[in-house]
Amino acid sequence: MKRLKTVLACAVLAASAVTAQAQSQDWETEGLSDDAITIGVMGPFSGNAASYSKALIGMMAYYDKINDEGGIYGRKLVAVQEDTACDSAKGIAAAKKLLSQDKVFMLQGNSCSGVALAMRPIIEDSGVPWIVAHAVSDSISDPLAKNIFHGVPTGSANGRAMAAFVLSKPDTKKVAIIEHSNDWAHSYSDPARAYLEEHGVTPTEELTMERGETDATAQVLRLRQDKPDFIIAALYEAETAIFLRDLKKYGLGDIPVMGTAGTDLENTMKRTGDFDTVKNYYVIHSYIDNLDGPKMKPWADMIHKYYPDEQLSTFSFVSIGSAEALVAALKAVGPDLTRSKLIDALNQVHDFDTGILSDPITWTPEDHQGVKGSAVAGFVDGKPTVLKAWGQPY
Amino acid sequence: MQVSSLPRLRRRLFWAVPVLLLALPLLTNEYTQFVANGMLIAALVTLGFSLVIGNLGQLAFANTAFFGLGAYASAILSATLGLPWIVTIPLSGLVGALGGFVASSAALRGIRAYYLAIITLAFGELMRWVYVHARPVTGGTNGLALPKETLFGFSLSDDKVKFYVFLLVAVLLIKATSNLLRSRLGRAIMAVRENEVATASLGIPTARIILMTFAWSGFVTGCAGALFARHVGHVFPESFGMIQLISSFAMVLVGGLGSILGAVLGAVLLTALPEYLRAFPGLEELFFGLIVGAVLLVLPMGLASLLRRASPLFSERYYRE
Amino acid sequence: MFLQLTLGGLSQGAIYALVALSLTVVYRSTTVVNFGHGDFVMAGAFISYVLVVIAGVAFLPAAVLAVLAMFVLGVLFSRGLIRRVRGGPHIGLALMCIAAGYVLRGIARMVWGREVLPMPRVFDIEPIFIGNLVITGDAVFIIGTVLVLLLTLFGLLAFTDLGKMVQAVYQSPRGARLIGLNVELFDDFSWGVGAALGAIGGILIAPVSLLHPDLGASFLIKGFAAMTLGGFGAPFGAVLGGLILGVAEQYAGAYIDTSLIEITAYLVIVLVLFLRPQGLFGRKAVVKV
Repeated sequence: MKRLKTVLACAVLAASAVTAQAQSQDWETEGLSDDAITIGVMGPFSGNAASYSKALIGMMAYYDKINDEGGIYGRKLVAVQEDTACDSAKGIAAAKKLLSQDKVFMLQGNSCSGVALAMRPIIEDSGVPWIVAHAVSDSISDPLAKNIFHGVPTGSANGRAMAAFVLSKPDTKKVAIIEHSNDWAHSYSDPARAYLEEHGVTPTEELTMERGETDATAQVLRLRQDKPDFIIAALYEAETAIFLRDLKKYGLGDIPVMGTAGTDLENTMKRTGDFDTVKNYYVIHSYIDNLDGPKMKPWADMIHKYYPDEQLSTFSFVSIGSAEALVAALKAVGPDLTRSKLIDALNQVHDFDTGILSDPITWTPEDHQGVKGSAVAGFVDGKPTVLKAWGQPY
Repeated sequence: MQVSSLPRLRRRLFWAVPVLLLALPLLTNEYTQFVANGMLIAALVTLGFSLVIGNLGQLAFANTAFFGLGAYASAILSATLGLPWIVTIPLSGLVGALGGFVASSAALRGIRAYYLAIITLAFGELMRWVYVHARPVTGGTNGLALPKETLFGFSLSDDKVKFYVFLLVAVLLIKATSNLLRSRLGRAIMAVRENEVATASLGIPTARIILMTFAWSGFVTGCAGALFARHVGHVFPESFGMIQLISSFAMVLVGGLGSILGAVLGAVLLTALPEYLRAFPGLEELFFGLIVGAVLLVLPMGLASLLRRASPLFSERYYRE
Repeated sequence: MFLQLTLGGLSQGAIYALVALSLTVVYRSTTVVNFGHGDFVMAGAFISYVLVVIAGVAFLPAAVLAVLAMFVLGVLFSRGLIRRVRGGPHIGLALMCIAAGYVLRGIARMVWGREVLPMPRVFDIEPIFIGNLVITGDAVFIIGTVLVLLLTLFGLLAFTDLGKMVQAVYQSPRGARLIGLNVELFDDFSWGVGAALGAIGGILIAPVSLLHPDLGASFLIKGFAAMTLGGFGAPFGAVLGGLILGVAEQYAGAYIDTSLIEITAYLVIVLVLFLRPQGLFGRKAVVKV
């Protein structure tokens, strides 16, 4: 037994010696070569949240564009994709593989807030820079971790923007909420609720509609009794279409509905197949223009250049802004790139206009939640239009 | 080979594996170590599951619920009540055993075969609903994060430290289960599988046998849940759904129904497989289906039967051929 | 509101009924519960999508072709895979069904994994208003189709020799074999019919639910619950169970809490098995020892 103990203690000691990563010069330039910067891209490339991985496709198309333009000081951006399947254990395995086996220089990516939350302690300990490119939960970047940067509007920015838009409609008194029972939906609805409470509005009806439900009759009939002035809907793509369809079916098509950044007007209309059903649907829209508008066209063309078959949705564009900020920071660092220098440069990104996100990116050493607001999109005169508040174009 | 030396050899082999594994952290990086830790947890989950569906022969799918109960018990006890995590392992086992007790009540009411499958499936999904909606206790959909801790001065955030704890727990539980199956009780468990009425007519209290098997399965799986909580560091309701159930179901059958060796083999193989399939994102389901289907066709008694055929060393005498 | 909920519940329940019935058809002749059936439902919907949207076939012929294709797939599945594992442990069959489902879902994911596709609607009938009650084209279409199907099927079972043969195989496969029935062929046929009926369910629901690889997952559990409620192996019970479940979900959601809709099926399963395990029409489900 004593011998066993000694063996055990030795093994633990040896093991932890290997783990204790001295933040040495080697570490600073790990994953870097003269012609490549390796970037770990984690995302739900499989499983039932795979539609989120469109976000990472758009981002990688941007890498390709930069590479075609000669890269950054001769270095190409090389994406190393890892699947998280939107599952926490699988996501941690992905992060550990990228960090300790592929030894990438930095990380950018990850949809699915739960997975990102589970990864956070590991990535924080590693010190490797991580730009959160899609997941929205505030707790990923708050409390501050010095190497973790949020490159999209967070849940509270989005949720508050949703509630603010709802209240900007004159005479909005009764607000109802319908949502999935999952962390994604709550990351929108909780801050929205908080904002409403701050303005003296308590939701009159709180409903759930779970993923995979193909009918919303019960929910809609409850809404018919409640007669809200506005409905906040934190639902995924398919369920949004079903809900809106049932809303119209039971004669409530005139009540405006506020959706999340998880859906967009163009595809929702395509899915319901009918303009009348979506005419009062509004969504969080983090971009400067409609998805098919002229200012978004270059980005759409860019994605199609590298991924010709990709069907575009709101997800396709969401990570491009943070990729631009990354490229700007990499350029600012100069040819002698290190991880610490990159983190310093990211902290200098100030009021960075991405030409795609509606709000600029600002990272400071004290605050890594870079995008503070979101616009809203809705139909005006039958056309998707980006809005600042009710009836006010962006 | 002398007849008497075979069990001794087998015993040596049993202990040689964990002793050799003590050196594993010298060969791994953080990623491979994390996967290896996952294998140990999967082995316990598969063992607990195999006990019910293989040894007892009951088509009960409640083990995902035991796993979730164990993980939540560990997270709540250590995050909310501040107990050291190591202490929560046996307590989580007890909570899992309680789950097993509840699940066995269905079997004891005479609900069997597909009925039992479906009601235990429902039990698992109802538990998941409870995790989501009991927000003040479970943290709802945001789950519960385990606090950072040290054990004898070693950080429990280190996968290599976790490995030794997991290994110890796994070896203890596997050994205990093996002893249990070799005992009088173990033979009674398998007698219930073969013919419940005949077993009862011998004066064996079949109801108590069923209850105890479920409870032990729940204990093993509950302990595995506590390990899982530390493994991921954060407990979410989504971790205990259908996907988890189907993967452990596949582990049992690929390894070999009712075989301890098979449970370990199945867990190791089917934990490693998705990691290899990482190179083909989006194709995991397809490959998983194909591989499991192929094993079922070619090796209906699982991988363990292959080893048994190779050498008597691997025979498990409580196993039906 | 009560009437409206009932109507909505019936139109959902009709789909559950179809899924439960297709599970029952397979269970009656083979005593296997197809744990991969949800994915068969999804596959039927996807095949018709491919035919309609990509190959440009009209809806009705496309639906017929999709159902036929699923029938063939069901037969092949029975012949090629299920027959071979029948000798092994019974739960090997359950896993084989799951594996087949995973393969189907994996194929759908490989091609359409990142999309939620709209399925063209067949009949865009204007909804009818009777006072506060709205009767939609979808509801009429779904309930009508299921009704016609059920009448045909029960007619076949009740008034033809086929029905007697099905009953014979269900009662005693060995007896059926003794009087010269080819039980194996019968099994294959049942798998085919089960898959085809499931496919019809998928084709009916897809225009409402939209198309994605996880479309079928929730229908499996609803089918189980409906089967349990109606009594295993009782076709009429499965249909009634499906309708009751559909309506119960709506009542629970509207009168108690919408978060209960998700678990109504599970609650039904637990309650039925504890209170009346044989369901409404089934054989005795409990064993006494």
